[in-house]
Amino acid sequence: MAYPYVSDREVRVISRHFGDPAARRLDTYVERGGYQALRKAFELGPDAVIDEVKASGLRGRGGAGFPTGVKWSFMPKQPTRPHYLLCNADESEPGTFKDRELIRWDPHQLLEGVLISAFAIRAGHAYIYCRGEFFETTQVLARALEDAYAGGYAGRDILGSGFDIDVTIHVGAGAYICGEETGLMNSLEGQRGQPRVKPPFPAAVGAFGMPSTVNNVETLATVPHIVTHGGAWYRGYGTEKSPGTKLFCVSGHVNRPGNYELPLGFPMMDLIEDVCGGIRDGHALKAVIPGGSSVPLLNAEECSRCTLDYEGVVAAGSMLGCASVIVMDETTDIVKQVRRMVQFYAHESCGQCTPCREGTAWMTKVLRRIEDGRGTEEDLDTLLDMSHQMTGTTICVLSDSAAAPVVSSIHKFKDEYLALIRRGERVGVA
Amino acid sequence: MSDAPFRNPGWAGNTGGFELSEDQVRGDDFVGARSVEGDHPSTAATYPYMLADKHPEAPLFEGDFQARFEKILTRYPTKQAALLPTLGLAQEVRGHVGPESMDRVAELLGLSSAYVRGVATFYTMYNKAPVGRYLVQVCTNISCNLCGADDVLEAFLRYTDSEMGELSEDGNFTVIEAECLAACGFPTCVQINSRYYENVTPADVPKIIERLAAAGPGEG
Ligand SMILES: Cc1cc2nc3c(=O)[nH]c(=O)nc-3n(C[C@H](O)[C@H](O)[C@H](O)COP(=O)(O)O)c2cc1C
Ligand code: SF4
Ligand code: FES
Repeated sequence: MAYPYVSDREVRVISRHFGDPAARRLDTYVERGGYQALRKAFELGPDAVIDEVKASGLRGRGGAGFPTGVKWSFMPKQPTRPHYLLCNADESEPGTFKDRELIRWDPHQLLEGVLISAFAIRAGHAYIYCRGEFFETTQVLARALEDAYAGGYAGRDILGSGFDIDVTIHVGAGAYICGEETGLMNSLEGQRGQPRVKPPFPAAVGAFGMPSTVNNVETLATVPHIVTHGGAWYRGYGTEKSPGTKLFCVSGHVNRPGNYELPLGFPMMDLIEDVCGGIRDGHALKAVIPGGSSVPLLNAEECSRCTLDYEGVVAAGSMLGCASVIVMDETTDIVKQVRRMVQFYAHESCGQCTPCREGTAWMTKVLRRIEDGRGTEEDLDTLLDMSHQMTGTTICVLSDSAAAPVVSSIHKFKDEYLALIRRGERVGVA
Repeated sequence: MSDAPFRNPGWAGNTGGFELSEDQVRGDDFVGARSVEGDHPSTAATYPYMLADKHPEAPLFEGDFQARFEKILTRYPTKQAALLPTLGLAQEVRGHVGPESMDRVAELLGLSSAYVRGVATFYTMYNKAPVGRYLVQVCTNISCNLCGADDVLEAFLRYTDSEMGELSEDGNFTVIEAECLAACGFPTCVQINSRYYENVTPADVPKIIERLAAAGPGEG
């Protein structure tokens, strides 16, 4: 099956069913060994499952890369109150398009992961928070969930184990900030999706005031494979500190954009040149955003020595984030694209913190001015100054995210800003 | 819908020699054939509610919708948590969530109208006023933008002969700019009501518009 493009350098664990609609059916999924991991988890017990996930070194795929097993171990071991697992399917970080694919091609894989993880953290109810725009995707998941209930894989006394786990699909209504874990919890509770001040952390006071854990779709989809094959097997891929495989969402100016599942530590240039068939129309590489629009840009030189693991991308000068690799060739108008990203953050700021609310709006204005050839060199200092004030000063990191492309582009592509400011000359066309 | 006249089998398109038809990719099997009153309560909130046929005066929360609402309530430990799904139901029935709907939702959930208004206005997907039969949302965020999204947006505005966010003269279209739709590898992504159109180029736009304008009630 050729999911839009495949590469023989991929290691397809969680993406093995991409492009194969048969896998959406419960019967096919079970025939291929599906829900055996859930059975095994019930035999192992919650603590052994957490230990296995800890041993695998799996790190959260929602952006921050926090070790999943460690996060789970923060949940109380002797529940005195209800626990909740919240699956974050709000995917809205620009450049990221993996969770939607995971859900619509392999909904049972996610459900199995959700059920196992809920069991491990002793949650009786899991909510899958799907972004509202995912109508079709959510229908696929809903059908799968109904089938899972009917087949005895969810609900009461699952597979005769005596364990009860409910799963509910909750749909959002269009707000990027609901992807932030505490914003997600507020939104689930029927409030505005505004992030909460931490601490308290979700494992202590989460959804509905109860101990909760938030995990990304990709993280949870990986769990059944770790339970089946063991943590040591998972560590057979990737690097010491960034074990396993990861979906790379490649978009922008490459010949073959798409999702590719690769072992972490994969060289960036191999991804662009080999896996994705190189830059379109034989153009040269200008810049890459390696982890979704919230992380700093890398220039071509930095890309050439960047490996795609959490540490490797930091060493090159950015962050892996959710591994959303946005590739820009030499025709790119960096100032315009940075303005477009900042405009997004201005639109999505929840408005609670002044530096974020005001900063994102002002930066958009200043960037527009520069883009229109009406900027001054002082504007660049103003932008850097604002970015500084927006970093590390707010309730959540949306504010920092908005500043990241501004600061990195001014440092790395100052010539383009200056060309616009001094001569009104645009560099690039797209 | 299997003979889509444009290059868009619902996802990465014919870019990779992919041999499935649109029908197979998004077939009724998995997407369409679920009953309006809701099947299992766990999925009661997931139905597509951006339908072409809009009935701005239709009664709220009656019949099937009443059943759905009651199922939704059973899924949360608090009544307030049913707020988003309930607003979604109201939009599914009427095509938008106006002040009257908000008041009704407030009453049903034991919340104040002001609170419901405050929440509803926080979220972009609740249409506060009626929109066209087709709400066309063109992603112009970075990945799509790099691949020409501005031109696609312009083409939609031109061919529907409308201004951004304004209803087109024939009442069929409202075109707006959208933020990233999580389909960045298949640019430009355009969401029209419940559906995603991927790999859309300006050349596809007249064909999409034509087909939608010609679609009868319940289609599209
Ligand atoms: C502004 C903002 C937006 C976020 N959006 C998402 C999102 O759409 N999906 C997601 O999984 N995580 C998102 N996150 C990260 C979550 O807060 C959280 O860390 C993550 O879901 C945890 O899951 P993980 O440990 O499995 O990675 C976002 C964070 C911030 C600050
Ligand atoms: S940083 Fe921005 S988005 Fe985050 S809580 Fe503050 S205002 Fe809201
Ligand atoms: S940037 Fe257009 S779908 Fe993500």
